[in-house]
Amino acid sequence: MTLELSRLSGQVQAMGQEMAARKQAYAERVAQAQHWLSEYAEQAGQLGQIIRESGSGAAIPTSESIDVQHLLPPIPERFTFITADGAEIQPDSHGVAFYYLINIGALVYRHGSGQTPEAYSQPAFGYTEDDTYEDGQPVTGNLLDIKRDLAEITCLADLCAAEPPDATTIAVVDGTLILWTLKDTPPEYQGDKVQAYLQQLDHIRRAGADLAACISRPRRGEVARLLYLAHVGGDIEKANADPHHPMKRLPDYAIFELLPPGARSALFVSPSQINEKYYRPDGHTVHFFYLNLAEEGQQPAIARIEVPAWVADDAGRLALVHGAIIAQARITGDYPYALVRADEMAFISSREREAFEDMVAGALVRAGVPAALSPKQYYKTLTRRGKRKFR
Amino acid sequence: MSDNKLQVGRVLRAAIQGFVAGCELKQPDIPRFGSFVRADGIAPGSAIYGLVYNVSLEDDLFARHFVGRDIDEGVIKDERNNRQVPVEVSVLSVGCGEDGAICQCLPAHPPVTLDWLYQCTDEEVRAFTARFDYFRLVLASRDVPADELLAASVLSGAAARPEHEREPFLVEAGRELARLMASDPLRLEGVLRRLQAV
Repeated sequence: MTLELSRLSGQVQAMGQEMAARKQAYAERVAQAQHWLSEYAEQAGQLGQIIRESGSGAAIPTSESIDVQHLLPPIPERFTFITADGAEIQPDSHGVAFYYLINIGALVYRHGSGQTPEAYSQPAFGYTEDDTYEDGQPVTGNLLDIKRDLAEITCLADLCAAEPPDATTIAVVDGTLILWTLKDTPPEYQGDKVQAYLQQLDHIRRAGADLAACISRPRRGEVARLLYLAHVGGDIEKANADPHHPMKRLPDYAIFELLPPGARSALFVSPSQINEKYYRPDGHTVHFFYLNLAEEGQQPAIARIEVPAWVADDAGRLALVHGAIIAQARITGDYPYALVRADEMAFISSREREAFEDMVAGALVRAGVPAALSPKQYYKTLTRRGKRKFR
Repeated sequence: MSDNKLQVGRVLRAAIQGFVAGCELKQPDIPRFGSFVRADGIAPGSAIYGLVYNVSLEDDLFARHFVGRDIDEGVIKDERNNRQVPVEVSVLSVGCGEDGAICQCLPAHPPVTLDWLYQCTDEEVRAFTARFDYFRLVLASRDVPADELLAASVLSGAAARPEHEREPFLVEAGRELARLMASDPLRLEGVLRRLQAV
């Protein structure tokens, strides 16, 4: 072991003390935000247009009061809950070949049927030049993440299409419906990728399923920004310029820890520019609400749930998504069971990764292609396996 | 020799004296303690015969989470049929065969990793238990519950025979046990009681 933990112990202790000191101030900010949530419930509702025009990054309110709480609706006896998640092996220029692997895991859970859930694991191997380069750029980092997001939603759409048309089906993706990772890419690339993603949302909608995305312990602070904006009377410039902005870095989930178990917050519209530019014209405007997944008597477990407009605008569909996610979370206690399983089905363990790398190296050797690591990777392999300490 | 219906699992690790196979719980016929199984030997047409002496389930943190919770039927079926928590079947080697001839001795080689493990057919069990030389291998093994395993294997042999052949078979096996365990009458009595209890 070469990480000198003893040299970090002082800093780790200091971190603990810093967190304890911050806790009081944080609690005061949370209490302030919760107070503003009811105090500015009506004013905030009138700020939608200002936020849309300014791109302030604050949550856009809908027609309902922002402090409303929707208790757990009745949960249907029978419904199908479909989840998908993805994992990847990034291309490595130091490896034996330049390739990527995306593995999509999915689970179809039929509530009230007593049937065995259907579990899927679908790998996609990219190794041709067309696979590994897009517009001259290697498909790594965000570009591969986008491919994975597209593979996840395509998997969900395919599974939804396989359900009977009259079935009650809820499709849930782990994470977000908004392709945030595209925001720093060229507009023409952005457009193509978002359109491919939105096509899958169309497929899910046409299959008669309801769609949602679930983010556990989200760090976003869009509602907190909305509250501060309401506090300064909708003055965007003042809100943006204030260096002592008390809601800065306050995550929304802390505000909504006041939700009773099983209850959800009001609906908001995501202020993302991608949402406005691409999702909205196609009828998929992403809305979100916060939901307390915890059981009665337990600490709040707040998740951010995103839904497209065609779910958000239909009270019945919205209630179904709300109830279905809670029904799934009741299985584990505080998180949808099917999302845990989809992650498990997608996960690529370090042993599987090594086995796959060996398969690739073997295939190259059999084909008469040199299968050598870069010198850098070769020496890393030597030092990282069976590492010894000499001091 | 291969029959999909009789596949139990695949060999995970192996030695001359015995081996362990992994199988999924959804298999309708997890082999019983004391039942006869077969793995293919290294040489074509050869086989290694064994007795199942343990079936174990590995620990799993996710499954543990549900202990004490009111579990939905779907979760139970997902755990049992989909989540690949391996059921490990431990086997004691008690014989080997080549081109139909059976020898009740340790095999020359262990089976190979990921080879299939098969449940023996009634015909194979009858052929194997036509002799009782394997009793010595069981009694000599320190890693297995020898007395229980002997009794269970004899009962497996009896069950593979037609009704009218069972009693003579049990009597014959009892005689062989009496000969091998003559120096330990209390232990012998325990094994014979197990045979009579059926």
